[in-house]
Amino acid sequence: RKTALNALYGLMQSADPIRVLVTGAAGQIAYSLLYSIAKGDVFGKDQPIILVLLDIPPMLPVLDGVVMELQDCALPLLREVIPTDKVEVGFKDLDAAILVGSMPRKEGMERKDLLKANVAIFKTQGAALEKYAKKTVRVLVVGNPANTNCLIASKSAPSIPKENFSCLTRLDHNRARSQVAMRCGVPADAVKNVIIWGNHSSTQYPDVHHAMVNVHGKEVEAYGAVKDDSWLKGDFISTVQLRGAAVIKARKLSSAMSAAKAICDHMRDWWFGTLDGEFMSMGVYAGGNSYGIPEDLIYSFPVHIKNKSWNIHDGLPVNDFSRAKMDATAAELVEERDTALSFLSQ
Amino acid sequence: MRLLPLRLRIPADPIRVLVTGAAGQIAYSLLYSIAKGDVFGKDQPIILVLLDIPPMLPVLDGVVMELQDCALPLLREVIPTDKVELGFKDLDAAILVGSMPRKEGMERKDLLKANVAIFKTQGAALEKYAKKSVRVLVVGNPANTNCLIASKSAPSIPKENFSCLTRLDHNRARSQVAMRCGVPADAVKNVIIWGNHSSTQYPDVHHAMVNVHGKEVEAYNAVKDDSWLKGDFISTVQLRGAAVIKARKLSSAMSAAKAICDHMRDWWFGTLDGEFMSMGVYAGGNSYGIPEDLIYSFPVHIKNKSWNIHDGLPINDFSRAKMDATAAELVEERDTALSFLSQ
Repeated sequence: RKTALNALYGLMQSADPIRVLVTGAAGQIAYSLLYSIAKGDVFGKDQPIILVLLDIPPMLPVLDGVVMELQDCALPLLREVIPTDKVEVGFKDLDAAILVGSMPRKEGMERKDLLKANVAIFKTQGAALEKYAKKTVRVLVVGNPANTNCLIASKSAPSIPKENFSCLTRLDHNRARSQVAMRCGVPADAVKNVIIWGNHSSTQYPDVHHAMVNVHGKEVEAYGAVKDDSWLKGDFISTVQLRGAAVIKARKLSSAMSAAKAICDHMRDWWFGTLDGEFMSMGVYAGGNSYGIPEDLIYSFPVHIKNKSWNIHDGLPVNDFSRAKMDATAAELVEERDTALSFLSQ
Repeated sequence: MRLLPLRLRIPADPIRVLVTGAAGQIAYSLLYSIAKGDVFGKDQPIILVLLDIPPMLPVLDGVVMELQDCALPLLREVIPTDKVELGFKDLDAAILVGSMPRKEGMERKDLLKANVAIFKTQGAALEKYAKKSVRVLVVGNPANTNCLIASKSAPSIPKENFSCLTRLDHNRARSQVAMRCGVPADAVKNVIIWGNHSSTQYPDVHHAMVNVHGKEVEAYNAVKDDSWLKGDFISTVQLRGAAVIKARKLSSAMSAAKAICDHMRDWWFGTLDGEFMSMGVYAGGNSYGIPEDLIYSFPVHIKNKSWNIHDGLPINDFSRAKMDATAAELVEERDTALSFLSQ
């Protein structure tokens, strides 16, 4: 048995490693995320990883501490850890990029200032992807405002397919799933096909008109399982929209653990695909969408994923209630985009 | 491999798992892994009990919210509390992370006294409320002595059910040797951490093996640098905690959480043939000449949720001196702690 294990060991470790970048790598969300990536939860238990950690120069000593801890985790898949503050090292030959770092809102900062600062960051990072990364790179933007930052990065990397860029709405998706599950007294994975439409902001629209709940082995429509339309159209929506603030209020820190989990879910599904009959929420390029959403946006849709490619789940009937909410969040995104593009051209 | 959704697999009865210091840093890195199934298995539903002190209850609420937002199928229930009668009730496993941290100006004696009080209370609560089959892992420092106090305060729970964490040091030792040899961390096995989870711990690789290109090589031969293995390697592992704090300005939550998961998972599912792991366990009946009434880190095999010290390893003079030094520190800690216990 020992000889066989040794031989198998040799085979396993011979798979080519992939290069995965995490920005904001010295920060809170990365701290909850890196271990899961390095362990194999995202890219698979046989996929060795070269983990590239990018942050700003003042954070390099803290980043050294993170590198020490990753070593101390004694993880077999972690081929190499590369801490850096240089984009030419950070973005080189990437297979995947998780852009967590962004300019946080400081006290007294106007929304416009926040947008301007982040446009600068994501323009630089988009250009670095264009110049250094593989053209097949999959990019997940987490740093807020995620949708608009994602759009800016994509526009700054014109030779990388727009479909390779996405932003995170999976946290909102998981929150919506969990709220419905708790309401119905079932485990979270008994709820499927919730949808988050739009912007990862307080205008997001958590929609369960097409969701299904498994109750005692039977698939029931969510509205039928919950039996409380006013909750589903009222408090359920605001709870999910405002959950981030509720966590900050309680913890005095933002939601790193659950954000990291959502990042893992998003990347893993992008890599390995979704199950038949199930769709997930991803912020993706709206070009060619059949739901009447303005095209030049990164907008969260229900998607299927196969062979590392997503497709929007088309054909869902959209009632007036949903239409209004989907349009409202689109309008916010149009405004954000136009402000951001004005900064981009300066 | 795609797992069938939980609803299509045979659901098992949930186990009750307590984490103390649940609003703190280490717990924050740990709870997700437990709730995900990494420790107790992918088919084992869990009732997670989170205990902390009253001022931390609002923060604990935030942690509960986040666990819900993780949408984890195995998490049957989350119970936040500051009451021991709720926290320790019917437990299958207890991970005691919370302890009194060293404050500025605090003497080592004061720290020990404060922690004796905490672990006496928690040991008594285990005695009164938990299942007799409960497995207890003490993480909060001074871990070995806190563990001993808890065990002594729970006389009808077998001493063998109590352990303290030295797996972090074990993983650090593995990793240092692996990096030196240019191999992945799991190509190094059978390192040993002897003694106290403190700066007197003895990381010993005399019996460790390194897989180099498919061949098992003794660690001393793979590394080819005896003076490093007897010098800087040891001090690097001993002082690693402080090095991480210096860099991060916070202590090592991520790697500590990983070590806790490794320790509990191996306790639950056993070690592989030919491999042993480091655990702080009751030294009663040990064959290595270590004083008996201690919690001391030894190399152990685990099967059917029970550990056995790996006996019969030859001990040279170098190792003997180091093993005795860390034992002496533990004897002193114990005697000080017991004097407080009897007050």
